[in-house]
Amino acid sequence: MSTQKARRRRERETGRGEAPVQTLNRREFVRRAGIGMAAVAAGALLTERRAAQASNIEPGDDAVGVLIDLTRCTGCNSCALACKAINHLPNPDVAPTALSSQALTFVAAETDAAGGVHPVKRQCMHCLHPACVSACTVGALRKSADGPVVYDAHKCIGCRYCQYACPFGVPTYDWGNPLGLIHKCQMCFQQRVAKGETPACVAACPNGALRFGKRRELLAQAHAAIASHPQEYTDHIYGEHEAGGTSVLYLSAVPFEQLRFPQPGNGTISQTAETVMGLTPALALSVATLATGLHLILRRRQQKDDAAPIAWPDRKED
Amino acid sequence: MAVRGASIHAGVPATHALAAWPHIRRCDCVLGILGFLTLAGVVAGVGRLWLGLGATTGLKDVYSWGIWIGFDFGLIAFAGAGFTMAALVHIFHREHYHDALWPAILAGLMGYVAVLALLVLDLGRPDRFYNFMLYWNVHSPLFEISCCVLFYTTVLVLETGPHFLRPLPWRWVRPLLNVLAWIMLPVTILGVTLSTLHQSTLGTLYLNMPHRLHPLWWSPLLPVLFYLSSIMAGLSMGALAYRSAMRILHRREDRTLVHGLCRLVIGFSVVYLVVKLIEVWWAGETALLGTGPVAVFWWAELGIGVVAPALLWAIPAWRRSSAVQWIAPILVLAGVLMNRFDATLTAQVVSTPTGYTPHLLEWISTIGILAAALMAWIIGVRFFSGEQAHEHHH
Repeated sequence: MSTQKARRRRERETGRGEAPVQTLNRREFVRRAGIGMAAVAAGALLTERRAAQASNIEPGDDAVGVLIDLTRCTGCNSCALACKAINHLPNPDVAPTALSSQALTFVAAETDAAGGVHPVKRQCMHCLHPACVSACTVGALRKSADGPVVYDAHKCIGCRYCQYACPFGVPTYDWGNPLGLIHKCQMCFQQRVAKGETPACVAACPNGALRFGKRRELLAQAHAAIASHPQEYTDHIYGEHEAGGTSVLYLSAVPFEQLRFPQPGNGTISQTAETVMGLTPALALSVATLATGLHLILRRRQQKDDAAPIAWPDRKED
Repeated sequence: MAVRGASIHAGVPATHALAAWPHIRRCDCVLGILGFLTLAGVVAGVGRLWLGLGATTGLKDVYSWGIWIGFDFGLIAFAGAGFTMAALVHIFHREHYHDALWPAILAGLMGYVAVLALLVLDLGRPDRFYNFMLYWNVHSPLFEISCCVLFYTTVLVLETGPHFLRPLPWRWVRPLLNVLAWIMLPVTILGVTLSTLHQSTLGTLYLNMPHRLHPLWWSPLLPVLFYLSSIMAGLSMGALAYRSAMRILHRREDRTLVHGLCRLVIGFSVVYLVVKLIEVWWAGETALLGTGPVAVFWWAELGIGVVAPALLWAIPAWRRSSAVQWIAPILVLAGVLMNRFDATLTAQVVSTPTGYTPHLLEWISTIGILAAALMAWIIGVRFFSGEQAHEHHH
């Protein structure tokens, strides 16, 4: 260490080695730092303003939804076929076993604990507070005030973050396409619902297992059904509270866990991330201020130290 | 500021950057291999862009992000060398780390360019990469990360700019250098701010996956943990970049500088470990530490990334050795890379019969991009480290 120290002192005395600390008068410093701070502040304010514009629309009281009564479903696949027809999707010979860019809905065959097989229609749950919408980098996914979660294919960059945010595994990517996009059920929003019609799958169901209407009313009907036929239904409306509530609701004879329904809990998936993201402007300003302040203080200390013998931070180790 | 940070020389009176030429032979071999790997990567990348993700990757709807994203997020942490070293020298005024600044910010720049290249490969619509600038979603962590990465890459270009400009013979270079010197302080502060934002937001990104990220990894503290680990990785990279640069330039390294950086790395790593342990205890997840194969990965990333280097460091006789000062930062980097891979792949709990196996093309393109970044860094160190840096500042 002593040689190190001596070398450094020698270098200092001869003006070689370490560069002299640049002296910057305070006015000059404040001017430069001010420019940086102003840029950060402007960015933060701009972001905050945009936040107000882009925030999720709260679904209104009249927002629509679909009630799926699994006890009435016979697994005839009419809904899935109607979906393919209206979305111009190919109809393969083998029935799909998962959602895909070719199957925005399908009827799964789920076995309950007693060994009974239940047909279960799967599709987008149209969450009240969709995590996919919160996560989407470019805001291509949107919760419409009417209820459906809709997708703007022209904005999508194919980052596939929505697939990770969705607790129901709904958004799918078109893997076969070199310029693939995300695909999901949009509750026939543009084709039918916006014109006052029911979604294609609901219209196609011959058994009354699918019902379209205002979510508020569907929920009341589901509660009434459970109350009047407690032996036919498990006492749970799937979608009433799951992931903060969904526009699609299910009634079932057997508990939903047995039919492999995801159990995401009742909290809104994106709540924590949105809270943290809300701190961004404050964090940016704090870091910029802190960095500027530290620079100012430590530079002055450094300049003072220059007069004194060099304080080598590692001297204890050496 | 960084103008003065330009030199990593130790008083060698060379007058031109090309003075490094005599070492051409051994370096040429390395550069040749890296060049070959880069070419292979370019071919693989073009194949991916032409054929699409389905044909050239092992990705599927349940495992939609693979090794590209794993390396991408690891690389962003590694490239934290730029902001950590800039903060150390220009904000905390630890002037004795000055000589390590240029290799670090150059590594930062090359890291971020590689990150962008990997992202372009991973995007389903790379032709629309710019859409995040047109359509904003301020709730989206990925939107914030995209913006910060774009701006911070610009910051790194400005910070490294003087080194690339200085050897140029033209008349407009000097006024341009003056402008760069004038804005360098705000640019550095902006860079540290942007880095703090997106390094932590990479953790926030995973907060949107409480239903599929294993509870040992999912935590409201993810932004803090990602930020801390980016500092660990950044300072490790800073130490390794400095030592490698000294070797490339055949210069003697400042042992005290290396020692100081390694000590900082170990310090931050231990803080990271403590926060991790407290978080698991506080969340009541200690029982999970002994259950299932996924717990092994949790222990592995902390064992390799923090405990092992800290133990090496704990022995006073070893901590002085050059070997330990290579191994410790490398282990820390390995641990941070494992953490990013665990969060992206290993610790993703999904009920699916088939997992994800990376396609050969994914490996070739990833290795190609990493090789290109390393090649560019070596060339930058050899020819743009600069000897006349002081002359500009009076």
